[in-house]
Parts: sequence; structure tokens; C-alpha cells
Amino acid sequence: MEYVSPEGLRLDGRRPMEMRQIRAEIGVVAKADGSALFEMGNTKVIAAVYGPREVQNRSQQLNDSALVRCEYTMANFSTGDRMRKPKGDRRSTEISLVIRQTMEACIMTHLMPRSQIDIFVQVLQADGGTRSACINAASLALADAGIPMRDLVTSCSAGYLNSTPLLDLNYIEDSAGGADVTLGIMPKLDKVTLLQMDAKLSVETFENVMQLAIEGCKAVATYIREVLLENTKQLESRRGI
Amino acid sequence: MVGLSIGEKHFIQGGIAQDLRSDGRKRLTTRPIYVETGVISQANGSARVRMGATDVIASVKAELGRPNALQPDKGKVVVNVDCSPTAAPMFEGRGGEELSAELSVALQCCLLGGKSGSGAGIDLSSLVVVEGKICWDLYIDGLVVSSDGNLLDALGAAIKAALSNTGIPKVNVAAGASGNEQPEVDVSDEEFLQFDTSRVPVIVTLTKVGRHYIVDATSEEESQMSSAVSISINRQGHICGLTKRGGAGLDPSIILDMISVAKTVSEQLINTLDSHIAAAEAGEEES
Repeated sequence: MEYVSPEGLRLDGRRPMEMRQIRAEIGVVAKADGSALFEMGNTKVIAAVYGPREVQNRSQQLNDSALVRCEYTMANFSTGDRMRKPKGDRRSTEISLVIRQTMEACIMTHLMPRSQIDIFVQVLQADGGTRSACINAASLALADAGIPMRDLVTSCSAGYLNSTPLLDLNYIEDSAGGADVTLGIMPKLDKVTLLQMDAKLSVETFENVMQLAIEGCKAVATYIREVLLENTKQLESRRGI
Repeated sequence: MVGLSIGEKHFIQGGIAQDLRSDGRKRLTTRPIYVETGVISQANGSARVRMGATDVIASVKAELGRPNALQPDKGKVVVNVDCSPTAAPMFEGRGGEELSAELSVALQCCLLGGKSGSGAGIDLSSLVVVEGKICWDLYIDGLVVSSDGNLLDALGAAIKAALSNTGIPKVNVAAGASGNEQPEVDVSDEEFLQFDTSRVPVIVTLTKVGRHYIVDATSEEESQMSSAVSISINRQGHICGLTKRGGAGLDPSIILDMISVAKTVSEQLINTLDSHIAAAEAGEEES
């Protein structure tokens, strides 16, 4: 199948190096300590952060750092065909773990010993790149909760189809069988916290694809910073400073 | 759960007794309601309803299926509710399952009547394509995104809004199939049939705190309740379903009194909800 037309356009009309429309909103769950909604095209996720708070299960308490927990859930209506799956299937568990490890790398856990931070991500619509969208949403929610972080983590995926590197794959491109590189970086520190790839690529191509994903992450980071700044300005004006 | 001190408990109870609740409402005033339709693009219909800090999403998906052999002239409707852990950490893992099941069953009985489907708010016979062979299965999924009490009423309102937003594709049945053969169908992607939602009821939950009852309780107020009765009422003022949940026993005369109160409250609720749904639909068409 042709994923990039001879004119250089993808199935949804984007150029190979173009991202989908991104949109973020802070404070969507009133009762949570921090929350955010993040959209990448048709992919839509909500993240909520509870904590730092007392550890619920004493046996998991860490005396020198905070315990970070994460749960990823997909709504029944999130996919094209309605799915009925039990909670906690393999894929969800794996993504929960990936998000937890990525966020743990940026949270300054040593400042909050003997406490617990819960990150819950809920997928409302899935159209490829849920992993990236969840990490971006979690990053925003943690910032909204005021949890000390080394840097924001932002994530973006890139792939390689029809001998063209493509940025931010949607569901059709994702399931096309080509390589899919999901990357998470801390843009200010310039460090990679997450890197996953399936399928095979030559080393030179991989370099190009990864470079593209890094560019994508940086673009997301710029947007997230804008959203956070806007939110802070609103808080400021509400306090009358 | 909600952690309240003795002072706070007295404050809530005292306020309700004096008809002035902690957020300034009277006993029978609801919180302002916000409706947004078409929020899930993959579904046939969807809506998001917010009442204060309670935030729920309902989606309707239609799939072609076979009608039940016992009821060949009726389609099927399944209601399923999920409590997202984003709403409260206690819903993590399997923690939300009990509440999800309770809400699903209550909604099923309030909206769909009994097993026969009689008294249902949704006209099941309108879902049949070919009698005994093909019908629409409607899957109604509710998701609790944020919870601050009164989930059942919010979900009921969201489902009503989602159903008014639902377009069911028109189906052309190929003629010539006879006997036991499954007829071939052609599902149109352009023509949609609107769903008749005028009979879909709204749900009003009356929460009894002390000697009085209140509508649209927040989670703090719900933690002080002695019992709650959910009544679903349609536009004609008919009671479509009733569930009493939790707490101590109620005097039968009080239940009858509650029903008449719920009836007056439901009239206002139906009117505000209908105008909000119409506004949301108009807003969606513009954008």
C-alpha cells in the first residue's frame, strides 16, 4: 500500500515531517491534585495526578524516595471497533510501566521520601501514538500538581514507510508494519528517557528517524511550555498580582 | 473516601436542615449543568456532561447483530459504565468495579425497564432492520472522568444527550433473501436516521440527610446520607424506574412524598437539559 503519495503527502494529507494538530488543557479533573488533557490529532488522553501523599500500602514505602505509581486505562469507546477487554491486560501493564519509568526519571523523588505519587492516564480516543500522548499529558499533569521535576518529559513517535521517515504516526501508519520509534526526551537537559522501536532499520536510517523524533519532541516541548506559561499567567491574574 | 471532621459533618447536616447548603444552594436546587455533544468522533453519538466537579462522558456505538430468538421484533441495548481511576485513586485496578456494576445496573433498570423492555425509554422495536434476522445492537458506554457525587443523574443526562446526538446509518436490505438465509445488507455512510429521544427519561436522585432530602448531592453530602432513592421520570411525568440504594430503611409514605418531589424537580431538569442539548448540537454544527 502507498503511504506517501508521489506528491509527498500522507494518507491524512500531512507532509512527512508534519505533526498532527496538538492541543492541551490543564485542570480538567477538579478533584485531582494535578490534571491535563492532551490531544494529538484524533488521539485524546486525560492524565490525573494524586499526591505526594501518604503511602497507602506500607510495605511499598521507600525511606529515601517517593513511590511513583502509574495506571493506564483505555475507555471502551476509544478504539474504532468497540472493545470489551478485562482491565489490566498485557499491553496496558506494559504501557503503565513505560510511563512510570519515564516519569520517575524526571521527578525529584529524593525530595519526597516516604510518600506516594499516583499518575492515572485514561485514553478517550486512540488513533496511534497513545504512548506519546500519555507521557505528554502526564508531564503536564505533574507540572500542574506542582511536583518538583528536573525537566519536562515530552514524547513523540516517528516511523519509516515507503523509504520516507514520517513524524507522528497515526493508527493506519502505525499498523502498516514499518518501524515505529517512540522517543521521550528531557528537552532542556537534552537527555533521552524513553526509546522503543519495533521492526528493523539500518543504522543510517535509524539515525534519521530518531533525529526526526527528537525534532518532534522539541516541538511538543515548546507547545507544552506555552500552555504552562499561559496557565501560570491566568493563576497570577486570578490572585491579583 | 471523603474524610470529614465532626465539625464539618455538623456543618453539612445543619446547613441542610436550614435549607442552605455549603455551596449556597437550597435543598432542591441543582448545580449548573454543562453539556457538550460529539466529543468522541469514532462513536455514533457521544456527549460529555459536567455538574460542578462531576464530569462524565457517554458514548453510543451501533453494531449490526441478530435479535434474540425470544424477541425477534426488538433490538438490543447494553449499558456499561466504567469508573476511571482519574476520578479517584480508589478506582485503581479492580477498585472501581463494584461501583461500575452498581451504576450500570441502575441505569439499565432506569432507562430500559425490565427484561421485556416494556416501559423502556428507548423504543427497542425501532432498532430492528429485518425482523428476526438483523437488528441494531446499541452499546452505551459511560465513563466517569471526575467524581463529585450524583454520578447516576449525571450519567443519565449524558446518555440522554448522547442518544440525541446519535445518528444510526440507514441500511438497505438486498431483496431476494428467503427462508433462513441471512439477507445481505448495505450500510449507508451518508444517510443517518435520528433517534427519537423524547421518551428517554431523566434520573433524579434524592439523598436523605437527617430528616430532609436534597437533590444533586456532592460527595461530601453523600457521605452523610442515610439513604438515597433514584427515580427516573420521562417528559410525560411517568415513572420509568426506581432504585433505592444504601442506608437505613425508609417509611413508605416518605417514598411517595419523595416521588412527588422528584416529579417537580424532573420537569425543570428535562427543560434545562433539552435546551442545553439543543444549544450544544447547534454549536457543534456551526464549528
